[in-house]
Amino acid sequence: MAIAVEISAARRRSRAVSETLWVKGLLTALGVAILGLFLLLPLATVFGEAFSKGADAYFAALVDDDALAAIRLTLLVAVIAVPLNVVFGAVASWCIAKFDFRAKSLLITLIDIPFSVSPVISGLIYVLLFGLQGWFGPWLRDHDIKLIFAVPGIVLATVFVTFPFVARELIPLMESQGTEEEEAAVVLGASGWRIFWTVTVPNIKWGLLYGVLLCNARAMGEFGAVSVVSGHVRGVTNTMPLHVEILYNEYNYMAAFAVASLLALLALVTLAAKALLVWRFSREIAADARQ
Amino acid sequence: MIDARNVRKTFGSFAALNDVSLNIAEGELVALLGPSGSGKTTLLRILGGLEFPDSGSVLFDGGDATLVSARDRHVGFVFQHYALFRHMTVFDNVAFGLKVRSRKERPSKAEIAERVHHLLSMVQLDGLALRYPSQLSGGQRQRVALARALAIQPRVLLLDEPFGALDAQVRKELRRWLRRLHDELKITGVFVTHDQEEALEVADRVVVMNQGRIEQIGTPTEIYDQPATPFVYQFLGNVNALPCRIRGGQAEIGPLVMPAPSYAGVADAAGVAFVRPHDLLLSRPGEGGGSFAVVRHVSVLGAVVRVELSLGEHIIEAETSRQRHAELELAPGQRVLLWPRQARFFLRDGWEGTTLESREELARTSAML
Repeated sequence: MAIAVEISAARRRSRAVSETLWVKGLLTALGVAILGLFLLLPLATVFGEAFSKGADAYFAALVDDDALAAIRLTLLVAVIAVPLNVVFGAVASWCIAKFDFRAKSLLITLIDIPFSVSPVISGLIYVLLFGLQGWFGPWLRDHDIKLIFAVPGIVLATVFVTFPFVARELIPLMESQGTEEEEAAVVLGASGWRIFWTVTVPNIKWGLLYGVLLCNARAMGEFGAVSVVSGHVRGVTNTMPLHVEILYNEYNYMAAFAVASLLALLALVTLAAKALLVWRFSREIAADARQ
Repeated sequence: MIDARNVRKTFGSFAALNDVSLNIAEGELVALLGPSGSGKTTLLRILGGLEFPDSGSVLFDGGDATLVSARDRHVGFVFQHYALFRHMTVFDNVAFGLKVRSRKERPSKAEIAERVHHLLSMVQLDGLALRYPSQLSGGQRQRVALARALAIQPRVLLLDEPFGALDAQVRKELRRWLRRLHDELKITGVFVTHDQEEALEVADRVVVMNQGRIEQIGTPTEIYDQPATPFVYQFLGNVNALPCRIRGGQAEIGPLVMPAPSYAGVADAAGVAFVRPHDLLLSRPGEGGGSFAVVRHVSVLGAVVRVELSLGEHIIEAETSRQRHAELELAPGQRVLLWPRQARFFLRDGWEGTTLESREELARTSAML
């Protein structure tokens, strides 16, 4: 569990340091320099470029029709993809952590596929499957269903790419908690549905929230897979990352950076929420450890 | 009340239970005693409906409950590591079994509160109702688990190593308390343990298990005084396991010859004699019967004195009182007369490969004693 690891790492840090002062100073300076160069500088550049023609121009770029459409589409995709993956992820982790069955390792491997395959490839697979020249293309056309180069395809690609986030977060957490509490609940006469909501979900809520956060950040920021299936129709099938690319290619740097600043802001909010969760979560983990 | 008939259960190629039959009477407190891997927890989980047997059946009050799910079986189960709901208060933990009932059977909120508080005072946890499990000590958690299991007024209470995770002092207190609680409530109970002292002290009847089979069922006294198999002999209490020869109704342990009437028909066979240290009588030459043995080592352990003797090539451990020790003035090198008050003999052929884990194990044990 990523959060638990971070917390224990934070606890260990104080004890593990035994270097002399100047080594410490040098390493810290190096760390700060790298962080500044690769993370803070680009972030500053994004906001700097975005506001290069003043705040008015910045907001004008954001309320542009195409920009607004891209923002709406991105939100729509996230609103569909994240809940779906919460359900899929929770169900898959529940199966893997609480039951023993033969295809278990196969299922774990399947969950990891989106992480190991390049997003562009996964997008391409959808095109080959559902595109006009694809396997199901003619059938879909005959039934007047348009998946590729339309919103459903974008949602599908996003769901696929973000699938592992929730499951990866929950599986180790649920495995470490075991099945005894669920067994205790069933002996006391609770139904499966009741056990899930009153025993399992409260035990995994922080891990789940963390998974949702990461899943959401990726769903809004996904570029590769979406780029392949979207078709880049301005105002119709352009998500925010794609819109940034289009603006940039049109040498409209200011507007490109303005939209990009929104994505950067999302990243910052995610980071802050994550830090808050770690802080919140640490007390519960400590409580669990005492048990 | 509970009747398990010819229950078998395998996990992969491991036979956890091999044709086990067990009858538990109403109001009885039964201990399932055995080493790890003996199948005792599996049997308990099958009784509770958390596992299902591969073959055989489980009857509750005469009705077949083999395939009844844990949810409908109406048993109280106390888990080894308590399995308290960690995000619920003590009150909510105990009330859980009542709150999840269907609306028709569910008591009113006030009744639930009353019953929970009654249970909490019974397990001596008044005033801790609003704590969370993580804020309780091990013994307190165990008692919450017990109150939670009792809240649904189960037909039978099943406890898996109920005191296993507690330290020695709390453990002793808690098991006396459990015995008293059982006597007050008259509830049928089955608990799993690997601690013989716990089984003998708390249970009405003890079921000794080994390698998925029942070795012996009996009252604590029966189990301790008349072990049915070499395994039970060795598992319960200290025992000398001495190789002997059985010839025409007599057993020869080195120079010591004892009557073994139940083997009158055996002409000549290798056997093992089991003698408890406290069943060995020591006396001065000329004052009693038996064979000569030489004292090798004497250690005083509180009220008892442990004496290590050599009898021919065998090494034997005896236990005697402080008073007797003073009378005999036992010291290393001294010759004393040794006579077993009682002993039990098993033919090697009879039990080899069946009950004892291995001959090497036996050899090791007897060398140790």
